[in-house]
Amino acid sequence: MSTGHEMIKLKICMAGEAMVGKTSLIRRFVLDEYDDRYTATLGTKITKKRVTVEHPADRRPLDVDLILWDIMGTPTLRDLLKEAYYHGAQGILGVADLTRTETLHELDDWSRSIREVAGDIPTYVVVNKVDLKEQRQLDEAAIQEHCRVRNAPWTYTSAKTGEGVEEAFQGLVGRILRHRD
Amino acid sequence: MPRPTRPETSVLVRERLAKDANDVDALFVLAAMRTQAGRVDEGLSILDRVLVIDPSYPGAWFFKEKLHRMRGEPDEAASARVRGEAEQA
Repeated sequence: MSTGHEMIKLKICMAGEAMVGKTSLIRRFVLDEYDDRYTATLGTKITKKRVTVEHPADRRPLDVDLILWDIMGTPTLRDLLKEAYYHGAQGILGVADLTRTETLHELDDWSRSIREVAGDIPTYVVVNKVDLKEQRQLDEAAIQEHCRVRNAPWTYTSAKTGEGVEEAFQGLVGRILRHRD
Repeated sequence: MPRPTRPETSVLVRERLAKDANDVDALFVLAAMRTQAGRVDEGLSILDRVLVIDPSYPGAWFFKEKLHRMRGEPDEAASARVRGEAEQA
């Protein structure tokens, strides 16, 4: 449905290891649903969502069609398929898992692969599964340092409860819009 | 409680194709696995099957472009790219 606002399309790629919650985050963001059962993603799934945002430069309203690419977290095929998945990407939502330290560091390899195809596009990092605090392995100082060095904003999310999910996608959209200007 | 693990991609592909021989996600990943194993011709043939079933399968035309380049076929690569750009527009 048209609102009469200026409209743009943004391709956002989800990045991160298998089982960090990429599919669940999209499901929460788009459908406001969560399913505890794990279903591994094969290939890629595209989901669309329209959001209305204020342009960060002049606050004019914009309708943004987000094209969310949920890409399987299989590192062995990452480089072979990078052109297929990342061509035309305008933003990266990097997903780490609070309960697995290595998932934060492995985001570097995902980002490198995306940037080799799409250039220096904005990244937003989310540390997912914040509802599992008792199984936490990543401490906040390590996350902050990781993201500070890479100039990437970050937030905690829980696809299960919805905490931080909307803010993360909105934050990435804002960053992409600033980057485009 | 043991942490669940992701099944091997090759196992997932096999399972999905056993249920549905035209499962495009599984076929697309199978094309990539064959290519990764050095069997580019077989990868391209499987990818072409993906594109018959779903000509808009995400990323498939850009992957086809890459496979044609690997085979030294610049004209076919260029036309796959044009189609990929059109699909993504």
